[in-house]
Amino acid sequence: MLTIQNLTKHYKGSNKGVTNLTLEIKPGDIYGFIGHNGAGKTTTIKCIAGIHGFEEGEILVDGLSVKTDTLACKQRIAYIPDNPDLYEYMTGIQYLNFIADIFGVPAAEREERVQEYADAFEITASLGDLISSYSHGMKQKLAIISALVHKPKLLILDEPFVGLDPKASVILKDIMHQICADGGAIFFSTHVLDVAEKLCNKVAIIKDGRLVTCGDMEQVVAKGATLESIFMEVVRDDKAD
Amino acid sequence: MIRQIKLLTKTQLCNFMDLNVFRFTKDKKKKRSALSMGLLWLLLITMLCLYVGTFAYGYSKMGLGQVIPMYLIMISALLILVFGIFKAGSVIFQRNFYEILCALPVSQTAVVISRFFSMYLGNVILSVAVMVPGMAVYAYFNHPGISFYAVGTVGTLFIPLLPMAVATLLGALVTGIASRMKHKSLVTTVLSILLIVGIMMFSQMLAGVGETFTEEMFADLLETLTTMIARIYPPALWLGNAMTEGNVLQGGLYFGVSIAVFVVMVILIAGHFKSICENLYSTSAKHDYRMTEMKRNTVLTALFRKEVKRYFASSIYTVNTIVGPIMMVILAAAILLTGVDKIESVIPLQNGIIGLMPFVLAATSCIMTTTSTSISLEGKEWWILQSLPVDAKTVFDSKILLNLAIVAPFYVIAEVLIILALTPSFVELVWLIFLPIIYMLFTFVFGITVNLHMPVLHWENEVAVVKQSASAMVGGLGGCLIIILCAVPVVFVTGIVGEIVKAVTAIVILAITVLLYKTNAKTALSHIE
Repeated sequence: MLTIQNLTKHYKGSNKGVTNLTLEIKPGDIYGFIGHNGAGKTTTIKCIAGIHGFEEGEILVDGLSVKTDTLACKQRIAYIPDNPDLYEYMTGIQYLNFIADIFGVPAAEREERVQEYADAFEITASLGDLISSYSHGMKQKLAIISALVHKPKLLILDEPFVGLDPKASVILKDIMHQICADGGAIFFSTHVLDVAEKLCNKVAIIKDGRLVTCGDMEQVVAKGATLESIFMEVVRDDKAD
Repeated sequence: MIRQIKLLTKTQLCNFMDLNVFRFTKDKKKKRSALSMGLLWLLLITMLCLYVGTFAYGYSKMGLGQVIPMYLIMISALLILVFGIFKAGSVIFQRNFYEILCALPVSQTAVVISRFFSMYLGNVILSVAVMVPGMAVYAYFNHPGISFYAVGTVGTLFIPLLPMAVATLLGALVTGIASRMKHKSLVTTVLSILLIVGIMMFSQMLAGVGETFTEEMFADLLETLTTMIARIYPPALWLGNAMTEGNVLQGGLYFGVSIAVFVVMVILIAGHFKSICENLYSTSAKHDYRMTEMKRNTVLTALFRKEVKRYFASSIYTVNTIVGPIMMVILAAAILLTGVDKIESVIPLQNGIIGLMPFVLAATSCIMTTTSTSISLEGKEWWILQSLPVDAKTVFDSKILLNLAIVAPFYVIAEVLIILALTPSFVELVWLIFLPIIYMLFTFVFGITVNLHMPVLHWENEVAVVKQSASAMVGGLGGCLIIILCAVPVVFVTGIVGEIVKAVTAIVILAITVLLYKTNAKTALSHIE
């Protein structure tokens, strides 16, 4: 579903970025991506979403290159950033309609999906209001609905649980499971290690732009250990270096 | 209080002209961009100085040296007033940091004064750039005493105070009225446009532009100009006389009025600061939406509708870009009402006014294009278009379409008025209709090109993009300047050769437009950061 091969992306005038990152996300995977602040999680995610270009390596979505088949890849992806900066001058429903238009979602389908997800996240009544009147959590919910409106095969999420109330978090987790059950895949970054450990079947840990470890959750987190203890080990190693 | 003002002003000014970015960024591209922005400003200021110097030299040679200081004071003040109204509301009541400042133990008066001073710095650079060369030329020809330099130096620093205070009060009034309305941005736009057009017409009326100039008035041009300045902006006369004649009374009057109006402004605005901000930033949410039928649009339509919503959501963007098309209609109406013969008797042109008119229409309608700032205005929401499956061509098409949609109605009205006024022949009619369209298309596409090369996506206030960015200056004014340059041969070359020059220039411009359009379309949106 998603193949990242030797991805290298560095920002001009800065040492920060990602170096030689390789990952494989298969259909049905809920892949957690964890690392400290500035480790390179958002950079990686933005490269997948086509927001950042990259110097070396390759990113393939369904076998299509993000570099050469950009639009075809984006058509298969839904991306939600860590900070949902949406068009504040639009109402919620106008924004959802705009996204659905871009993805060419038929009217009946978009109506059905918007109704379903807006009801689930309990923001249907607010869809006629300007996004500028929304709270952070409501914007996050709207961003999630807009990501789901075209039924993506691959969901790329950057810190998706930040700002969500407990009920919305549970609903999002259910939706993530549903997408994977339908043959899709999810790749998301998080700092909430408990959530990652319970939700994901696979995990990758990144440190200073380099992949430290990745694989099945059971393999990475050995018996008796937790994801938190593994992560802290990585951080300690970093300090020892 | 003084300490708070100093601290707040320092914070406001720390990134004046991208200085902070230039100092601390490690990104060479950003450093270059900040540096080129600084150089661009320097170039503009140098050009302004040269222009003022030449103007003052000409006036001195004509024996009108006496009027130079007061004339320049008036011009500076009017510019600061008009542009101040555009941005006073959005700078004084800017949202960023409002909530942070509200939670801090700082007085509202200090906040208002600090924000006023951050605007003052830009304006005082303008008044210095205008006054210093003018004063130098005046001093060279007239050898004034020490009081000229002393009053002139202090006076120059005071020039922005009065027009800025008035502009801030008017801007605050507009913002205050709009903040109570449902459609805040639309009300601000309409009120700002009415105010600016009103000021322009009022100053023309006061100057007696409509009056017929008599031979006596031309004979004593010094007296005529002095009377005109005294009618339009009396403080210019007070400071001018204080500088050139050492008139202490008028000098005192000037400084006294400037300080008094400034104090009144601060008291009035500080008193209403919080309530205006609260009304301005509070959003009404009905919370009563029920799902209705959703309709499908094409990608281009969806993007165009988004652009329209973006346009009308920002009063500063709307006002800045719609004044040109409005001016085009006012100009066309003025020509129809005044009559071509009367205008041609005052401005004799080899090809008549009809030869120049297509360029004038195009240039006025494109004084500030929306395309030259439309990418920058995406700001922190740029990620949406970057991550969606939409190509650069369609995105830019929607932005060009918006500019077309804004200018088109004004263009049609102006064309009808001009055709009625000039009664052109068939060939003249063809030029009159198609030349402005060609040049307009060029400026719209040129605006996108410039904004692609000079994007400013990380901004705190729309003013930084719409009024202060390199893209707004180069894209907006550059296109207009190219049209003026293309018009130059038309003024001097007559007959069939003139027609050929006009046609060749139009073809070249059209070819450049197509080339730029195709190059823009190949841009990867991910490369614009």
